[in-house]
Amino acid sequence: MRMGHDLLVTLQGDLDDVRVESVERLVTSEVARTHARGALIDVSGLDVVDSFVAQILVRLVRMVGLLGTDMAIVGIRPAVAITLVELGVNMQDVTTALDAQQGMARLRRMRADSTAGIDHDHHY
Amino acid sequence: MADDTVVITEDLDSYYLQMMDSITDYAVIRLDSAGTVRSWHAGAQRLTQYTATEIIGRPVALFSTMADVATGLAEANLRAAALSGRQETEGWRLRKDGTQFWASVVLTAVRNRAEQVVGFGMVVRDLTALREQSLTLRGLEQLVNSIADFEVIRFDCDGLVRSWNPGAQKLTGYASEEVIGHHISMFYTEDDARSDLLDREMASADRDGSVEAEGWRIRKDGTRFWANIVLSPIRDDHHNVVGYVKVARDLTERREQDQLVQQQRDEILELSTPVIQVWDKVLILPLIGTLNSARAARLTESLLQRIAADQAEVVILDISGVPGIDSGVAQHLLETAEAARLMGTASILSGVRPDTAQSMVHLGIELGDLHSRASLKDALQLALRLVEARSGSGDGVRA
Repeated sequence: MRMGHDLLVTLQGDLDDVRVESVERLVTSEVARTHARGALIDVSGLDVVDSFVAQILVRLVRMVGLLGTDMAIVGIRPAVAITLVELGVNMQDVTTALDAQQGMARLRRMRADSTAGIDHDHHY
Repeated sequence: MADDTVVITEDLDSYYLQMMDSITDYAVIRLDSAGTVRSWHAGAQRLTQYTATEIIGRPVALFSTMADVATGLAEANLRAAALSGRQETEGWRLRKDGTQFWASVVLTAVRNRAEQVVGFGMVVRDLTALREQSLTLRGLEQLVNSIADFEVIRFDCDGLVRSWNPGAQKLTGYASEEVIGHHISMFYTEDDARSDLLDREMASADRDGSVEAEGWRIRKDGTRFWANIVLSPIRDDHHNVVGYVKVARDLTERREQDQLVQQQRDEILELSTPVIQVWDKVLILPLIGTLNSARAARLTESLLQRIAADQAEVVILDISGVPGIDSGVAQHLLETAEAARLMGTASILSGVRPDTAQSMVHLGIELGDLHSRASLKDALQLALRLVEARSGSGDGVRA
């Protein structure tokens, strides 16, 4: 994995406790190592997005925020959005976008300067 | 009679007497050629209540009912037996106390070597209980046969059809001779037959006392019908399952009606939750009428799908057509907005009337950071500004 100003993390398959830990470790270390200005997490490839996964995402956003990086979650599908609202998961503080492209625009706007682009796709 | 009887070397008379006394379920009586009772035994006494001394020497017509005495039935039977050698009848007979029993009577003529009738053997059996049973059975059979709109059939533990009724014929098109003895899976669809549906239904009927199911069945002409079926096991006195009764009816029409109603309901819901694209990346959801949970869920669903399809950035929830906003409706709106936000789309509430604004605040409805405008025009302007801002070139307005 190589660094850029923005980072795209694509989550796929199934998230379990073990994988969650390594995802957290990898994302935080990559963000720190690359000094990324912003990070996108694409969840459209996840099999299940329930309250457990949602809490992980919220946690990731806070961790990355502590490193001074803005983060947006993209690719939440309609059914997933309904489920999360029904479960009452609080994701008020999380920036979201429809897809990676919209998410990039969102991140750019959130920053004072808007010069960054994706240097690398990290598929997880 | 004794000519070809074997082995008995002891006193023959005493042997027969003992044997006769041991018969208690039948009356076996010897009559002379005139029909006078000449022998008696315990079984005869049990049946008719007469003792030997009371009856021996009396005419057999003593057992006849008044009506039969009047027509001379006893004598007629004797004549018939004398003529043909054997006469078998059933009818009412009298006991000593005047009560009646339904008797099966077999008269056999006894002849001497000169072929003259010298007497009769009479075997009488009480069939009152059996007659009741068979009458009950016949009544049940007629009952089942009179049921034209229900299939009421019986099949054994191997699944072979044992009885058939007109309702079954009407339903399936098969006549009874075409199905009796055949396996009941002939009415099943291929998939059901292959998946051992019958075995599963029989097992749950055994367990629960009966089982109700619905499914497609096949008629003789190959067409399908939607059947409602109730299956109950038949048990013998020892509680063993000896077969099953199946009651079935045709619910095809009702099913089609149900489906039609459901389809119309869906269409109405569809019509009542239109999502309109008014501008690039801007959707309007005009809400009209009362908002219940079913409609709200439907509305959220169709809105989110349109957001995904149209890549919408902003959604305007227009409530000018909603008569009143209570906390339930507000909750639905907030949930819809939050679900849209999770997909990266900003929501704007529009059409809030002064009285609505008042009641919302009085009710303590908290809109959070949901944008709200009084008119659709203002909402649309805000929406366009938001889209512009989000596309990256704007003035930093955050959704």
